[in-house]
Amino acid sequence: MRRPKNGGVWMILPLYLFTIVFVAGPLLYVLALSFAKANDGYGVTWAFNLENYKRILDPVYQNTFKQSFQLALTSTVLNCLIGYPFGYFMARLPEKKKKHAMIGLMLPFWVNSLIRLYGWIIILQKKGLLNHLLKSLHLIDKPLKILYSYPAVVIGMLYVLFPFMALSVYSSAEKLDWSLVEAARDLGASKTKAFWTVTFRLTLPGLLSGVILTFIPSMGLFFIADILGGNKIVLVGSLIQEQMTRGSNWPFAAALAVVLLILTTLMIMLYRKITNAKQLEGVGWE
Amino acid sequence: MKKKSFFTRFYVVICLAFFYLPILVTMIFSFNSSKSLTNFTGFSLRWYEELLNNVEVYKAVYVSLSIAILATVISTVLGTITAIGLSRSRKVVRELLLNVNNFPILNPEIVTAIGLMLLFSSIGMRKGYTTMLLAHIAFCTPYVITSVYPKVRSLDPNLANAAMDLGATPYQALTKVILPMIKEGVFAGALLAFTMSFDDFVISYFVSGNGVKNISIVVYNMTKRINPTINALSTIVIVVIILVLLAANIVPHLRKKSLNRNHRRNTVIAVVLVAALCTLMIRMGITANGKHVLKVYNAGEYMDLSLLEQFEEEYNCTVVYETFESNEMMYTKLAAGETYDVLIPSDYMIERLIKEDYLQYLDWDLIPNKKNLMEDVVNKRYDPGNRYSCPYFWGTVGILYDTTVVDPEDLDDGWELLRNPKYNGDLYMYDSERDSFMIALKALGYSMNTTDFDEIDAAYEWLIEQRDTMAPIYAGDDVIDNMISGNKALAVVYSGDASYIISENEDLDYLTPSQGTNVWYDAMVITRDCSETDLAHAFINFMISEESALSNTAEVGYTPTVSSAFEEMKESDYAGISSYVPQIENPKNEIFGYQEPKVKQRYAELWTKVKAQ
Repeated sequence: MRRPKNGGVWMILPLYLFTIVFVAGPLLYVLALSFAKANDGYGVTWAFNLENYKRILDPVYQNTFKQSFQLALTSTVLNCLIGYPFGYFMARLPEKKKKHAMIGLMLPFWVNSLIRLYGWIIILQKKGLLNHLLKSLHLIDKPLKILYSYPAVVIGMLYVLFPFMALSVYSSAEKLDWSLVEAARDLGASKTKAFWTVTFRLTLPGLLSGVILTFIPSMGLFFIADILGGNKIVLVGSLIQEQMTRGSNWPFAAALAVVLLILTTLMIMLYRKITNAKQLEGVGWE
Repeated sequence: MKKKSFFTRFYVVICLAFFYLPILVTMIFSFNSSKSLTNFTGFSLRWYEELLNNVEVYKAVYVSLSIAILATVISTVLGTITAIGLSRSRKVVRELLLNVNNFPILNPEIVTAIGLMLLFSSIGMRKGYTTMLLAHIAFCTPYVITSVYPKVRSLDPNLANAAMDLGATPYQALTKVILPMIKEGVFAGALLAFTMSFDDFVISYFVSGNGVKNISIVVYNMTKRINPTINALSTIVIVVIILVLLAANIVPHLRKKSLNRNHRRNTVIAVVLVAALCTLMIRMGITANGKHVLKVYNAGEYMDLSLLEQFEEEYNCTVVYETFESNEMMYTKLAAGETYDVLIPSDYMIERLIKEDYLQYLDWDLIPNKKNLMEDVVNKRYDPGNRYSCPYFWGTVGILYDTTVVDPEDLDDGWELLRNPKYNGDLYMYDSERDSFMIALKALGYSMNTTDFDEIDAAYEWLIEQRDTMAPIYAGDDVIDNMISGNKALAVVYSGDASYIISENEDLDYLTPSQGTNVWYDAMVITRDCSETDLAHAFINFMISEESALSNTAEVGYTPTVSSAFEEMKESDYAGISSYVPQIENPKNEIFGYQEPKVKQRYAELWTKVKAQ
């Protein structure tokens, strides 16, 4: 009995079409629009030109990219420092505790992220919890101005993206064969050495996929910069939002999105080159 | 070894504390008896009561839940079938599709968001529930495929064929053989889809419109002001989620232990059931059937919302009320094809809307309360003879300052006070291009309606220098609460906000700079596309009735256009507050005028640069 291998394709063609129209379609449209020209008032003229890309070269916008990059880098590094041990420790917990920790990690994830960020406003404001605490511990005399500042945005990013890092490290640490570590120890490696040569190496794919999963979104999460950073444009995402909603310069926003897309694609290619992996660790919650 | 395990647990607990602190704080303050988010003054349930009366939140919960359920179900079906199909298609097709699929997962959401928004607007789809649902399906499906595909791959490809050889129909082969083997992946995908959809902000923000908002959008609009109803809402959300998780984990325990393994499935089923139940209940709660609908678009924090309820009752209609952050934002939405009946923009924007043919004439015969209007506010240059617009509030722009911090001598500097390094880091500017350029131009002695590019560039330099020396915060409505709680010493504000803020914090006072300022008028207009012209006129008439105007100004603090309300409040609630009586005599004052597109473009670009630093 030989069935044509592609027999199923015709049946699910509409689904492919859906994917193409709603996933690839918008991307191609953005690409096309980035070469168009914005009308003076509102709307677009379809005349091929590179003005939008030239405009990105303006030092001001280059600086936005730079700042956005820096911010993403800061929050990613912090995320690694805090999230790696968390994911690692979580994987080492006894089975039952592990489940609890997992639920503990996922629960806030289900609460709307804007609601959670709102909680930070309460904590960080001038007369908020943090300043109150620091003052009563006599660590400061004058309240710190954290809300609407750079650190506030970093905290917000860290907070929103932390589960991604923790989960990807966790999923690769879970798979780790601990007998390898024991073997290394038996062969005379110090604890530290065993960690760096065995454990760390083997969980590196998880860490790297965590880096991708936290770094890339950080460039676009404009609402964090908006709510905790006080409307300053520090992210490429904020710039895109500004151009879409107020500036009414859609082609320029499209060009920014294309550049962002290229940058992130390069990062993912680099990641694949380093790890030889096709899929990111932890994306499917496996 | 024991010590280490203690440390491990300690670390995990500390991290979880970081995680739960904001949520916990939010929950605690939901029971606060006062509006403050810094002092807990006593236990009360008033914010829950207010939440129950807030139809907007109700509707948002309904939208969030129903979209999450529909998107989860549809994208799970779509994604599963696609994943199965993929495993049977040619390698080229497969690789291509998988790569395309990974794009939305791996790229910043905002790229997907504007892509979808542009797609919808290019095919002329009206933004609203449908576009939001389609967008959610579009971004959830790739996640389902990612979770299901590896499971399908691990199956023996001959399995389905074997089943069919044994006499199963293709449908049976799918449901009896393949699906049971990949169900773990399917449920994981469904759970992920639900979480993503329910939590989504960025994509919904761009693709939704016409009054359709999910929880995220509503919260985003509310975060600018202290609003403990958000706390109440989030407490309820958290409690419901905890209950669902408990149910998913405990119910199987109560039944037979053998079912324990399927806890992910139970989670999904519990989530969907509870969500469906809530949705139904809320749906029943919203009763907006068959009534006339009036869509009103106003600036944020600019109306006593109880007036809307009163109007709805009186005219047996539903008011869909949306707010914008700036006139420019309103214009963009309008130009992008959203439809509204009544708008409340500022003078210069009205002039532009008239020029670009967005408005229709008012029928003043339908607005008998016209007699209540003060003479000072009608017949201005933006709309001579008030053919299109009915004045709503008016005032000036000035500086709100903390009298306990700011040296009285510095006040003579007028706008230059905003560049006094003494107050570095202690300043709010408005996140509005026209207001900010107005300040710079006035400080330099130019007209705020200048079209001279040299003058505009000079103003730009002024703003850049201010930004670099003063580190101002470009804020919106958040200024109000922050100034009330004394967070900064100086703020650029509209006179109406100043009146409200000063009435709450007596340390503050309002300065109308001697170099001249913007005298502005906001007015109600009816759009050309308005489908409810009678109701729209009734609404305008209602808003300038003596009673409405009085409660409106009492609530928001802006200077009314109705004389009786103005006279009364001047002597009572707002007595002695200088900003309540706009000082408009200075000959250097101006009203904003219409800007040619070229000039407008210039301002917009420079303002983005100021903010982008």
